[in-house]
Parts: sequence; C-alpha cells; structure tokens
Amino acid sequence: MAEEARSIDPATLEMIDKAREDGSSNVFERSSNMKPCPIGLEGSCCRICSMGPCRVPLPKNKEETAEERAKRKGVCGATAETIAARNFARMIAAGSAAHSDHARKVTETFLLAAKGEAKGFTIKDEQKLLQVALNFGVKIAERSNEEIATEIGELVMKEFGRQEGELTPVKSAPLKRQELWQKTKVTPRGIDREVVEMMHRTHMGVDQEYKSIMSQAMRTALADGWGGSMLATDLQDIMFGTPAPVLSQINLGVLKKEDVNIIIHGHEPQLAEMLAVVVQDPGIIEYARSKGARGINLAGMCCTANEILMRHGVPIAGNFLQQELAIVTGALEAIVVDVQCIMQGLADVAQCYHTRVITTDPRAKMTGAEHIEFDEHRAWESAEQIIRTAIDNFPNRGKNIRIPDQKTDLVAGFSHETINYLLGGLFRASYRPLNENIINGRIRGVAGVVGCNNARTVHDNAHITLVKELIKNDVLVLQTGCSAMACAKAGLMLPEAAREFAGEGLASVCEAVGIPPVLHLGSCVDNARILIAATAMVKDGGLGDDISDLPVAGAAPEWMSEKALSIGQYFVGSGVFTVFGTTWPTTGSKELTEFLFKDYESIYGGMWAFEADPYKMAELMLGHIDKKRKDLGLDKARDRVLYDMAMRRELDAV
Amino acid sequence: MEYEVMSAEAPGRKQVNILGATFEDGKPSGEECGRWRQKLNSRSEQLKYLETAERYWYGKEWFGSEKRKNPA
Ligand code: SF4
Repeated sequence: MAEEARSIDPATLEMIDKAREDGSSNVFERSSNMKPCPIGLEGSCCRICSMGPCRVPLPKNKEETAEERAKRKGVCGATAETIAARNFARMIAAGSAAHSDHARKVTETFLLAAKGEAKGFTIKDEQKLLQVALNFGVKIAERSNEEIATEIGELVMKEFGRQEGELTPVKSAPLKRQELWQKTKVTPRGIDREVVEMMHRTHMGVDQEYKSIMSQAMRTALADGWGGSMLATDLQDIMFGTPAPVLSQINLGVLKKEDVNIIIHGHEPQLAEMLAVVVQDPGIIEYARSKGARGINLAGMCCTANEILMRHGVPIAGNFLQQELAIVTGALEAIVVDVQCIMQGLADVAQCYHTRVITTDPRAKMTGAEHIEFDEHRAWESAEQIIRTAIDNFPNRGKNIRIPDQKTDLVAGFSHETINYLLGGLFRASYRPLNENIINGRIRGVAGVVGCNNARTVHDNAHITLVKELIKNDVLVLQTGCSAMACAKAGLMLPEAAREFAGEGLASVCEAVGIPPVLHLGSCVDNARILIAATAMVKDGGLGDDISDLPVAGAAPEWMSEKALSIGQYFVGSGVFTVFGTTWPTTGSKELTEFLFKDYESIYGGMWAFEADPYKMAELMLGHIDKKRKDLGLDKARDRVLYDMAMRRELDAV
Repeated sequence: MEYEVMSAEAPGRKQVNILGATFEDGKPSGEECGRWRQKLNSRSEQLKYLETAERYWYGKEWFGSEKRKNPA
C-alpha cells in the first residue's frame, strides 16, 4: 500500500511522516513489512494439537476436485470445515471472554462501591439502578440505593458462573426472539459456561461437525451481547451515569503543547473516571504548574475514550491505529493503558520519545512499560500516583514536538434511554416517532456501523465511505467503538451534518428532533445499547414482531479483533444482517462460509456477509433494508393521509 | 421534576399563580442542557418514568407488537 493510501485522516498521515523522519516504528510500517499468512487468513491452519500444525488451504485460482477436497484433512482426519469452524468459534469465544471479563471487573467495582469500600465510586444514576433492580426482580420498596445495589451486584456476579436456565438480560429481548433461541437451543445459560464449553468442544477430538460447533459459537456470542456486554453497560451506567448528549472534540489536535498531556487508552472506565476527577483537583493542577506546564490535558483513545467522552465530554485523541502516533507528536507525557486493543508496539515507539507507557491492570502487563496498579479500594490515590508520574515527566520533553492541527467537534452520548427521551420528551418518551418515520419512508431503515481499525485497509476510509452512503440514502446510523471515532473525525456526528450529508427524509427528521444523522452510542460493550434500541423498535409496533423483521442492518467495515467477531455473531443471532469488511476468516471452507452467509438466515433470520468495498457494502445493506421494507409492506414511501370531511363522506358512501 | 409556577393577572382576582410551561425549550443551551435524567428527583417519579417511558419492559398500559389490542 502506498504511504498516502494508509489513511484518509490528515493528522494520521502527518504523524506517519514524522515517525519516519524520527526513525520510529509504527503499525503502518510493520504491516507493510509483515504480510499476513495466507493459510491462517482463510482459517485453514490448525494448531490445537502437537501432531500439527496442519495446513489445509483451498487450492488457488481453480475449482477444487472431489479428490482434492477429500485430501484436505489434518493428521487426525479433521476436515477443512471442522478446522475453519473451530478457528472461527475460538475467536468468538475469546471475544466473548474479553467483553465478559470486562463485565466481571466492573461488577467487582460495583459491589465495592455499593458497600462503600471503593472511595470515589458511588451510585450516580438511581433510575438506572431501579431499572436493573426490576430486571433482576430485586425488591425496591424503601430500601437504600446501596442495599439494592449490593443485591444487584451479587446477582450479576452469579450470572458469570451460572450453570443452568437462562441469563437474566435475555428476558429483555423480543419474545419471539427468545422463543427462537429456545427452539434452536442457543439461549445462553451462564456467561463463563458458554466460553468454557466452546473451548472444550474445539479441543482436539471433541465436536467435529461444523454446524454443531457453530451452534455453540452462537450461544457463546449471545452470552456476550445479551450477557457480559449488556451487564457491563448497565452497571457502568449506574455507577457513572447513563450517557446524555455532550459536546466534545476528536483527533490528535486535542493534545495541547503547553499542558501535561495524558492519554488513557483501553476499555474499562473505572480508572478513566477517576483520572477525569483527579485532573481537576487544584492541588494536582498546581503541581503541574510547578513543573512548568500550563495545566493538565486528559484525552482518551479507543473505548475507554468513548466511555469518558459519553459521560464527561473528555476529548478523544484518536482511534485504534492512532495510538502509537499520539506518542510520535512528542507532546505526550504518559499513555495510561488498561485492557484490550493496546499494541505492544507502544513500548517500542515510546523509546524514541519521552512518553511513559503505564500499565495499570494486573491482567495486562507489557514488557518495556512500567506498571502502576489501579486499586479500586484506593482509586483516588492510584489515579493521583499515575497523574503525578506523568507530570514529573513534563520537564523531560524533547524539542521535537509537532501536534497536528486537526480536531473536529462532535456530539456524543446517545444511550437508548436518551434516544427514547429525545424522540418523545419527558412525558411521552417513545420510539414511536422513529417507527412512524420508518413507516412513512422518511427514514429508510437503521444501520449499526461498529468495530475497529485494521492496518490491512486504508485507515477510516471504509467507515466514513459506508456511513456517508447510508445516511445519503436516508438510513439512520448508530455507531460505537473506533468506527464511531472515524465518522466523528469526518464531522458526521454534528446536527449540521444532517443537512450536509443526509438524504432529504432523514435530514428532515434529524432537524426536527435536533440530532445528528449518525449517533454515537459508546464503546464496544455498548453495542448492547443497539440491541436494546432494536428491541424497543420491535416492541413499539408496526415493524414486525422480531428484530429480524426490522429494516435494519449491521457492519464492521474495518474489523480486526476477536471481540468484533463475537459482536457480529450475536447481532446475526439476534436477527440482524451483518456485513464485515477487510477480510473474512472462514474462506478456507466454502461449506462453512455458505452456512454462515446463507443458511443462517433460515435459522436465525440474520446472516453474515463479507464485502471489502464500502460502496458495495452499502448496496448490500440497502438491499437488505429494502427487502425487509417490502416484507413489511413499506416498499412505497407513504406519507400519512389526513382525511378531511369531504374525504370521509366519500369513504362512508362506499 | 420541579414545576414552574407563573404569576398572571386574572379578571376580578388580581394576581394568581398558575402552572408554567411543562415543555422544554426548543433550543436548550448551556453545559447542563443534555442532562435530562436529573430532572426526575424522587424515587416514585423515577419508577413512574420507567413504567411509562420504558413501558415496553416495565409498563402495563401499552400496545405494541407484543401487546396487541386484538391479538394476531
Ligand atoms: S487437531 Fe488434527 S488438524 Fe489440528 S493440529 Fe492436531 S492433527 Fe492437525
């Protein structure tokens, strides 16, 4: 890939150039030097026992003969279908585990906060607490918030180790969907159980029928979307507040030359929440000034950024592929990381500059980084120690500083609760206006565009191109993760973007409600908010009885992580047509790929697709949305006809 | 939620207190403008809101795809 084709973001391109000048490595350069293994890429390499690794690639540039196909087996006899399914299922298990272990950590902090053992953490959103209490059947009456929260925390903790029955959040899904899951035996029983069973069934010599493997993969993914992720979002909302609209800025230009710059990067919000509070402490600001800085500038990266953006408006320095480039500015005192999507390359890049890479989670250490453990029992002190370390580093800044000018305004904070409120107000909160506008054709449908960045494709290009295509065609777009950040950088998350980029119908609705055509719903665990929004659309009525009836579609155009596959799988299992871009990990088995892309629709009402070209991806999604509109009898745009007396008389006469 | 009370002149009764607007400003501004959840103060108000606004899950009085007037 030519250098200028690595990203469409000018700030990123500027920092790639600077990195080259400075002789510092980065993900873009490493991806040019390291080509992906073609056999692993198509899911045809098995390394789960020491008789292998066995490689069973699909023949290139020709149709496979029956004989060749029969020979494509591992030493143990495992077929290409079994091998590809096992690889795919294990990726889903890892993704589900990541989101769910995040949820477990949040639950631990939540319990400490409920018991008053985590100084600085409290119950911020009583209403969400009551909502979750209703979900779990916890008695409310006159009990204190802390008592209710303790009981909720203990019940949520049990969801992880649950062995039988159904996960509690599953009850929030549309009734028809719940029945379908029961019928197909994929209702998740317990969060950990499904992941463990998936790992067992993909061990050497266990489940060797690809459809059966994929059935457990579905249960494992649903344990993420309707389990771990949903619970993480709920408890985070209770502790830190349910997001409401907030104005902020995004891109590397949010770093400030005169300030101590600290980036918090990763996924869990606990530490970030505390850092956001402690950086405002007058004593700490004074300490920064004593070192020659004007003040302290906290910015976020990846999903931790989304969490504190949604709740505090803390600016975002960039998305996944920009993490090393933030160090390349030469103006970053510390990059503070917790878990997930943190490149080990950070430690290498930091060697060329003064930046300190600080790991904070006992589950995620890194060679070459320093570790300052974040302890929830003494959250303030931990946060203060980290910030002081960054401040102490300010005088070590070199002269080689260049911060790109680029930064864009955005409005974030669209939780399900806030969308419901914005559509109807405090006295008539409702999804009715959204459904009505889908029925009358002003809004063609709704799309969830989510996921990561991937160095194997042009940074941000597929996200922005796809989303622009969708909104131009009157599709309201809901976003999370690094995809949301890409579109925010392109100015799509401002109310003004409706007039500039959206189709006439969508623009008119956005302007009436006062929302952007692209709504930021948060981090990757917050994809659970999209599931709830889709369920509210179903339950409100007029658009069918299940999520699979809705004119909706999902996409992750630049996905790279195992978490993205888990998210995609639970969206498909919830009835959503979901398209992934960049690459697809089961192409080594045509049979398995057909099963996921075609047969899934008849089982779950949703199916996977792969398309690297964002324009064609938009076409696929619009085609699916139109098919659903047709099935609902909405294929012709119909404005509501208001009958006057003459028309009524005419009707009566018939 | 706190209701706004306005003073107005009523024929024959001079100044009287009346309930002010309960709708929101068309274009709210300021840092707090998005923070709508804080308007619900008491627990009973919050529970009532759940029952009405989040009626799809917590309400008894609503109609939709899963609660039709005439079951399909
Ligand atoms: S499990 Fe079978 S296919 Fe996989 S490495 Fe071992 S022998 Fe090869």
